[in-house]
Parts: sequence; structure tokens; C-alpha cells
Amino acid sequence: MSKVLSLHDAVERHVPDGVGLLAVGGMHLQNNPMALVREAVRQQRRIRRLLTSPCGALNADLLIAAGLVDEIATSYVGFEHLGLAPAFRRAVESGSLRVLECDEAYITHGLGAGAGGLPFAALPVGLEVSDVCRANPESYRLVEDPFTGTQVLAGAPLRPDVALVHASEADVAGNAVLGGAHFLDRVMALAARTVVLQVERVVPTEQISRHPVGTTIPGFLVHAVVEIPGGCHPTASHGHYRTDEEHLRRYLSLAASADGAQAYVDDYVRGTTEAEYLRAQHPAEARHAREELR
Amino acid sequence: MSAAGRGASDAPGAGVTSGELMAVELARQLRDDDVAVMGTASALPQVACRLAKETHAPDLWFVAGGTCGVNPHLAPAVASCCDEDLLRADTAVPLSDVVLLEGRGDVFTVFFSGGLQIDAHGNCNLVCVGDWGRPSLRGPGTVGLPFLARVGRVLIYTMSHNPRTFVERVDFLGGPGFLDGPASWEAAGLPGGGPAAVVTPLCTMGFDPQTLRMRLETVHRGVTVEQVVDATGFELVVPAAVPVTPDPTEEELTMVRRIDSGGLLKGH
Repeated sequence: MSKVLSLHDAVERHVPDGVGLLAVGGMHLQNNPMALVREAVRQQRRIRRLLTSPCGALNADLLIAAGLVDEIATSYVGFEHLGLAPAFRRAVESGSLRVLECDEAYITHGLGAGAGGLPFAALPVGLEVSDVCRANPESYRLVEDPFTGTQVLAGAPLRPDVALVHASEADVAGNAVLGGAHFLDRVMALAARTVVLQVERVVPTEQISRHPVGTTIPGFLVHAVVEIPGGCHPTASHGHYRTDEEHLRRYLSLAASADGAQAYVDDYVRGTTEAEYLRAQHPAEARHAREELR
Repeated sequence: MSAAGRGASDAPGAGVTSGELMAVELARQLRDDDVAVMGTASALPQVACRLAKETHAPDLWFVAGGTCGVNPHLAPAVASCCDEDLLRADTAVPLSDVVLLEGRGDVFTVFFSGGLQIDAHGNCNLVCVGDWGRPSLRGPGTVGLPFLARVGRVLIYTMSHNPRTFVERVDFLGGPGFLDGPASWEAAGLPGGGPAAVVTPLCTMGFDPQTLRMRLETVHRGVTVEQVVDATGFELVVPAAVPVTPDPTEEELTMVRRIDSGGLLKGH
């Protein structure tokens, strides 16, 4: 049975309003599933808790700018060399967004625990020295190691209700190829109850099955596949196009104020369809031009 | 000769930028048997590792966290640690494997770090300025900095040498250095070796072995000891003699500019 859905239907069916834990894939300014994120904004999906891969960027900041996020579990929200995340900053500094402070090891192993049904993730000795675990007692606890009797740090399993993940290509059954780096996208897909994939293209199963070992997300974990060429814009899509730093700088400069952030959300997301957005901001010619630069 | 004794040292040579000099300084800290790992916005350590590998440390390995390209070829170096160009590399490993191995502790010998705040004992903070619950500045987060507690040598770098960055004590301990000094460091019994060096646009610093406080080692050409002291928000250990940081050789500079062919370090 085909899992290919329109962008609208994938979000309407699989991202419930008030979703408990929503994970957004991609890392830094690459492979953010932005078409799915924008559609979640258009459909006004309230998110009780958002989880980033170790490093979120526009995927998190846009949802926060749209006022949809109650809490965020993250080890980084920012725009790397381009600057701090304006909506995240404003929301945390004003006290309107609760942060579950996490570190990269916990997010990675916590997702692993979620994927494997482990009651918790035991974390490497030494991580308990950082203030992260004291800032987030909900996710981190000191426990007795049953083998040595020493106190060690444990992290609660992370089991996203829904993961929004970008892949380079998938077949109609959801068998997916990540085009470049895996980041934590594979681990997110393993741990989440529902996986919605955004892909550059849907390809025939015969093509996918020529490289089964390189097809790192199996379709049995995937609930919906949405084909949106260019859908990671303005972040990069490994194997397809680069980060649109000019657009990101425009976002950063607008979102520096609450009104500007609202204007961005209205003009570039709520007031436009995905097709219109991509036609205006990321036309195929521009994508191809970027590919030729490679 | 003490730079303090003669005031400003000679003018900087051949238009070397701070970024280029810092890459050379970081490269000098790397050894042939190192396996180094770096994270967010890491053009500088990328260039340093590639330079070291092509000069005195051919058997060095380095992993550009994010993409986790291993020994990325660069030329050009890239600004984002997740840039696809970092997969032009000898090999690549999944990020989740790198995180596993960071925990193992005996694989990576060098970890590059930085921070919104860096304190007298080399603790790093990328989380917030002020109280965590209601910060005056919210930074991005800790990423992998808690792993600093497990790594052989931590190399700290920052482009911001000022009293806001260099503070007596970090407001949030994200990346552990020597904690609160010798007593707390000893009590913690951490597996790692702690911070080894701090490289900034003004100087290179190390740590006083008795107090485990940051100590000035060399000032970059054109910089005075007074300038460094004024730019540091805590009492820096200043030895009687502070030499000038050795200039990059012509060969080093040529190599840095070839590796950084996009000129990322030019603007600094």
C-alpha cells in the first residue's frame, strides 16, 4: 500500500494538534524537514514538547516564532556561524518557553533507549559534572550502578510521538535513503511511534532495492512519505542543494523582533502555500544552479 | 624577551589575520598520535587539523562532528560542521557512533571547545548568561560539551577575547574544565585530562599547574600583556617573561590559505 500523501494530508493525519513529543530531524542548517514544519505552522499544530536532534535551527525556531511550542527538549538551537536563534532566545529570556536542557549524549542515547525499549539510558561517567543534569531533573537522574554500586547518570528514554524527518529518496513503501550524513535522523526514526518522511523524490522500489544496505530507514517504521523537491529550503539537502544563507539572514534580521518574526511567519508560511513558497524562494532553476556548483 | 618589558611588539607580518594565526597555533598543539573531534562552527579547528596533518602530524585523525567526516579534505574549509562538503573525506561514521565513542573515552584524545563564557579554570558555557531559569542572554545549548570531562586534552578557542567572555566563573557549567580548581578537580576524579590550551586573537594561554588557573603563555605579535590582562575578566596568571607567539612560517601560511581557499579565516 502506498504511503505517499500530499503535504497537507500527511500533517493533517499524522501530526495531531497538541502532539506530546514532536521530533524534528536534520542538524544545524542541513536537512531540516522545513516543508513539514511550515505545514505544521499552517495547520496551527500546538506542540506540547518539541525535541531537536542534537542541534536544531530553523526547524525549531520557526515553530517557536509561530507560538506553537510549549516546551523544548534540546541541546542546541541556533544558526551556527550565522548567529543565535532569535525566537528561541526571546521565548526563553521572557519565560514563555520552558527548556528541558539536554546534551548530545543524552539525546542520542535517550533515543536509543526509546528505540530499544530500554527503561533508561545509562550515561558515561563524567557527564554528571555538568550543570545540564541539575537543570533538567525530569530527564536526568543519578542512580546506583547495580554492578559497581557507584552513582551514575541515567537519562529517561526518548520516545517521540511523531518524528518529522527528511530523506533524499524513498519508495512508496517508505524505504528511505538518507542522501548524505545521517545526523540523528535514523535514530529518531527508530525511536518514534510515527515517522513522517519528507523526500526530494519518490523512486521505484526496484531502484531502492539495488542498494538495500544503503537504504537505512526501513519502510515498516514509516507512516507517510511526502514528495517535496526543494522542501528543506532554506536549509540544505545533502546531495541536492546548499543552504540558502541569504534567506536565512533575512529570517534572522526579521525575527530579531517579535513583530518581524510574526511578519515572516505570515508572509512566508501562513500566507502562502508550499508550492507558492518554493516557486518564489527556491525555484527549480536556483536549485539546479546550486547543484551545478558542486 | 618579555613583551611586557618593551610595550607593543613589532607590527604583524605579511597581513596574517587573527584567524590564520590561531589556526597555526592550534595546529602546534596537535600530535601525530591524536584523534581529534570538533563540533559546531568549527572552521578554525578543521584548518588546524588539516595543517597539522600535512606538516608535523601526518598520522593525526580528525572527525568533523555533525557530518562526522573523518579527515575531511577541505580546501575549502567550511563554516558549518554539517556541511555536505565535509563528506569529501577519507571516510565517515554516523553521528550516533561518534557519540558512543566519545563516551568510550579512550578513542578521542583531543576535543575542541569554546563558549559564550570561558572561566579562569577553563570551564566553558554555551547555555546562558545570568540565571539559567531567567537568563539575560540565552545561548544555544551545551551540545557535546559535557564530554570535555572525559577527553584527554581540551583545546579551547574563541574569536572573542573580552571580559564578557573571559569571566571568573561561568554562569552555567556546560563543558567542564578544571572545575573550581585543584581540590574540586581532584575530588571529581574525572577520566579526562582537562583543558590544555586556550587560543584567542590576542594570545595563547595554558594553565598554572599549581592553581589550575589560566596562565598567559605567549602574546601574538602586536599585542601587549596589558591588553590581554585588560581584556580578561579574571586575574590571569602572568609569568615574568611572556614571549611573542612564533609567527607562522611562509610554508604554514601558504598551506593555511590553500586549505581555507574560501577565506573563512580572512575576515577575522
